[in-house]
Amino acid sequence: MIWPALLLSLQVTAVATALLFAAGLPLALLLARLRFRGRVLVETLVLLPLVLPPSVVGYYLLIALGRDSPLVQWFGINLLFTWQGAALAAAVVGLPLMVQAARAAIAEVSSTVENAARTLGASELEVLGRVTLPLARRGILAGLLLGAARAISEFGATLMVAGSIPGRTQTMPLAIYDAVQNRQYDLANQMVLIMTALAFLALWLVRQAEYSQGLSPAAWFRSALFRRRYE
Amino acid sequence: MSEPALRVDIERRIGAFRLQVNLEAWPGVLLLFGPSGAGKTQTLRTIAGLTAPDSGEIWLNGTLLFRRGRPGNPLNVPAWRRRVGYVFQDYALFPHLTVADNIAFGLSNRRSPQAVERVKELVKIYHLEGLERRRPWELSGGQQQRVALARALAPNPQALLLDEPFASLDAELRRELRRELRAFLASASIPVVLVTHDREDALALGDTVQVIDHGQCLAHGDPLRVLGQPGQEPVARLVGVENLLSLRVMERHPLDGTMICAGQGVRLEVPLSNGRGEDTIMVGLRASDIILSPQQMGRSSARNQLAGVVIQVESRPPGYEIALDCGGTILRSRITGAALAEMGIQKGQTLWAVFKASSCFLVEGGPAPAG
Repeated sequence: MIWPALLLSLQVTAVATALLFAAGLPLALLLARLRFRGRVLVETLVLLPLVLPPSVVGYYLLIALGRDSPLVQWFGINLLFTWQGAALAAAVVGLPLMVQAARAAIAEVSSTVENAARTLGASELEVLGRVTLPLARRGILAGLLLGAARAISEFGATLMVAGSIPGRTQTMPLAIYDAVQNRQYDLANQMVLIMTALAFLALWLVRQAEYSQGLSPAAWFRSALFRRRYE
Repeated sequence: MSEPALRVDIERRIGAFRLQVNLEAWPGVLLLFGPSGAGKTQTLRTIAGLTAPDSGEIWLNGTLLFRRGRPGNPLNVPAWRRRVGYVFQDYALFPHLTVADNIAFGLSNRRSPQAVERVKELVKIYHLEGLERRRPWELSGGQQQRVALARALAPNPQALLLDEPFASLDAELRRELRRELRAFLASASIPVVLVTHDREDALALGDTVQVIDHGQCLAHGDPLRVLGQPGQEPVARLVGVENLLSLRVMERHPLDGTMICAGQGVRLEVPLSNGRGEDTIMVGLRASDIILSPQQMGRSSARNQLAGVVIQVESRPPGYEIALDCGGTILRSRITGAALAEMGIQKGQTLWAVFKASSCFLVEGGPAPAG
């Protein structure tokens, strides 16, 4: 009961983290560097999963991935009630954390330093790869870890999209719910301990990534989660 | 003179501010001198390609870098293709790279033996031995400046731009580094454009100076002459000529090359103006050119001796500025602390202001009347 769920959780989180990076980094760059019409709208949409009930996010995903979606109609790809669907749900819920942290780190890179690279013969792509991203790497890493931590503990949206099929889509948080429902408290206790340890580890790594930048974890959490309120 | 290596003729509007720069530079150091907000940094950024002007042309060694609103095809070579080195005001070193990697940043094929050799060479020239593995924040201000210079020069740029290279350093270090930078730049075979608002920097570093204010090019020429005895009123005010006197011409002595002029309560002998029969002129006189004496000097080569009452004694490190009221005309003289103590100068005392006719220089009224 524990091992299949744990392995599935790790598998889902690994894929979700890859998705977070692939989607989150370009989004963060876009929001940090470009002033375009509708920037605030895009930013709000990306942040929305942070405040919506996970069941609502799951419901949207259910519609987006359901029988009538282009994904099914045109490509014949059905993600509903698969572990891949669970990974997608986890990625969507983790995305705001990744984007906010990475965006802040990229925006903080001094434009003068980037200009210095340009005068030294670096093209825009080189400036990005040799100056901007290396300088923002701690914030990006912290965002990725935070997003991954959120992904591994995903419950609501995953339940809506992938259900809770033991051995197929039942990740740890869902398995814990099941165990408690079935009054298997020993099992639940073990899984709760494992989850707590994993979450602790992830946040500890976030702290490691961020602390060396001279920002306390608490201050960083505040800025990552509630940045828009202070602006 | 031969073709200029760098030719800039650009115009740019930023809100109500209008930048209109027309300058030419040959190998050697050209100073852009002006107060902050005059458009000096904008000019450098435009040459480097970090901002685009509204119209104009920029040429470097016969290659067109920018053209808009002029006959011919418009062109804007991106910054990374211009081969123009830039030393930023705060140096803008890469904090994530070591000193050696900072210097090597602009070299193509950084792992090649040639690149490694070039970095070694620059480390030696700029006295950075032993610091190669350090990070920028572990360096002193002077060391950072040398790294920035070495980094900018590593890819052999065709021009070098320096923005206020001493702005973030304290006064003593400034003097030391000024001498050092002068030596580095003297060997440069490319045009160097250096921005400063500091008169001392300008006098110590430049072969030529271009004065800029309110986005407009004013005087241009030898720093000693342009900044020492500025011939235009706006420039004189800019460089802080302490005495600017409005005088009436009374007598002309073409044989002596002088003329006698009258101001409020004073008569002065000043160099002859260029023949035009104007009857009011403006004369500039540096405070450091006025000698103060407790009594009249008797016979001397100084043509001007005026008695006045001390109305102000002001500390202006490294000396003191004394204001004398000479029958309604205020003269400011700069003296050392030792002289002040020895003469026991106090307010209300009568002193003689002594200066040569040749210390006075004629100043043309600028396009904008002062006040």
